[in-house]
Amino acid sequence: MTGDSVLDRVQRIVAVTAGPTRTPPGAGPDTPLGGGGFWLDSVDLVEVIVACETEFAVTFDGETDLTMEALGTARTLADLILSKGPR
Amino acid sequence: MAAPRASAAPGLRELWENRPAIYSRALWALIICLDRLPWPWGEDGLARLFAAAALVRGSRRRPAIAWASQQPGHRAWRLALAVAAFRGRWVARSALLGVRGPDDLRRRVVVDGEEYLAGVPGGTILLGFHLGPPNVDVALRTLGRRLAWLGSIRRSPAWSREAWRPFADPRDNLCPPDVESFWPGYLYRARRILLDGGTIFTMADAWAGREVFQVALPGSAVSIRPGWITLWRQTGARVLPVTTHLAGRAQIITIYPPLQAPGTDGGDGLDAWRDTLGSLVKDYVRRFPEQCPSLAFPPQLGARPRPGVGAHGND
Repeated sequence: MTGDSVLDRVQRIVAVTAGPTRTPPGAGPDTPLGGGGFWLDSVDLVEVIVACETEFAVTFDGETDLTMEALGTARTLADLILSKGPR
Repeated sequence: MAAPRASAAPGLRELWENRPAIYSRALWALIICLDRLPWPWGEDGLARLFAAAALVRGSRRRPAIAWASQQPGHRAWRLALAVAAFRGRWVARSALLGVRGPDDLRRRVVVDGEEYLAGVPGGTILLGFHLGPPNVDVALRTLGRRLAWLGSIRRSPAWSREAWRPFADPRDNLCPPDVESFWPGYLYRARRILLDGGTIFTMADAWAGREVFQVALPGSAVSIRPGWITLWRQTGARVLPVTTHLAGRAQIITIYPPLQAPGTDGGDGLDAWRDTLGSLVKDYVRRFPEQCPSLAFPPQLGARPRPGVGAHGND
């Protein structure tokens, strides 16, 4: 699986979770998922994480994987998923 | 709750440096000192001190009287002093002041509705409120209930005592450090516990996070946050509301029947939940107004983590 396809799918999941009202104009892979970008809060981010888990058939480690850095942007989240060997 | 330490109890310097952000230096110093006294001397002392502070300090007195004057059937001054004193008791119990070990706490806890916890497979969310004394999850754990706390980190000199070490296991305390306040990993771990059939204790009316709905009360309101609803949606866990109050020295914990599963009322469940939780909270405030300091003295949210990514709705 290519990094680009993972990134595209992660961006789709983020856009669905944020909805049209919170998706900023020109949002891209480096748009912050939280403040200043999609404004997703922790509850939203868990929705994104669980959706990614299902989409890519990966399992995250809640203690070590889900850091502020890893959940910073769609790109960093895609990198995390790629490190898990997604399906 | 602070992570367990492998070595001996911390010294005064370490205790001092572990001061929670919500406590002033003076109050934290007082807690450290009063903790040396046997229970309930320190607790009673703090209760009297907080009542006295409400008498002499306008910044404490005004909100207490304003809130108390809107509670039907009560004399405003008397209720204001009682709720101010309970605030001191709340701080003391939050810090387990003078409580040397789980046995000391267990002896003073009575659980009503315990049958709702028994014999049902699957995950369970115990849903608390910032009403009455704190540390309900700790009290339940002293009675042998296996559950994990999802909420604010708790610091107290008590946690460094050997007797309390088992209660400080990070696996059972899903609490980001004060400075971090980044919740997704903790929510995710809570979800995993629920999917594995475990039990989580969390607060419906967390200090931070967006508001799902509000319970309007005389002179105040309780904001219900979304963390527990998200966990329920993702796991299908049972949700059991829990309240607690003091009756003399005893802490009474009341566990209510599981909230009705959504779908059976034709909606998404939130309407029924709004009604059920609203009735429960209103009834509590009517019966025990003096045990509602979070309503008379709303927390200073500015001292809490900023909204946004850090806002989770669970502390």
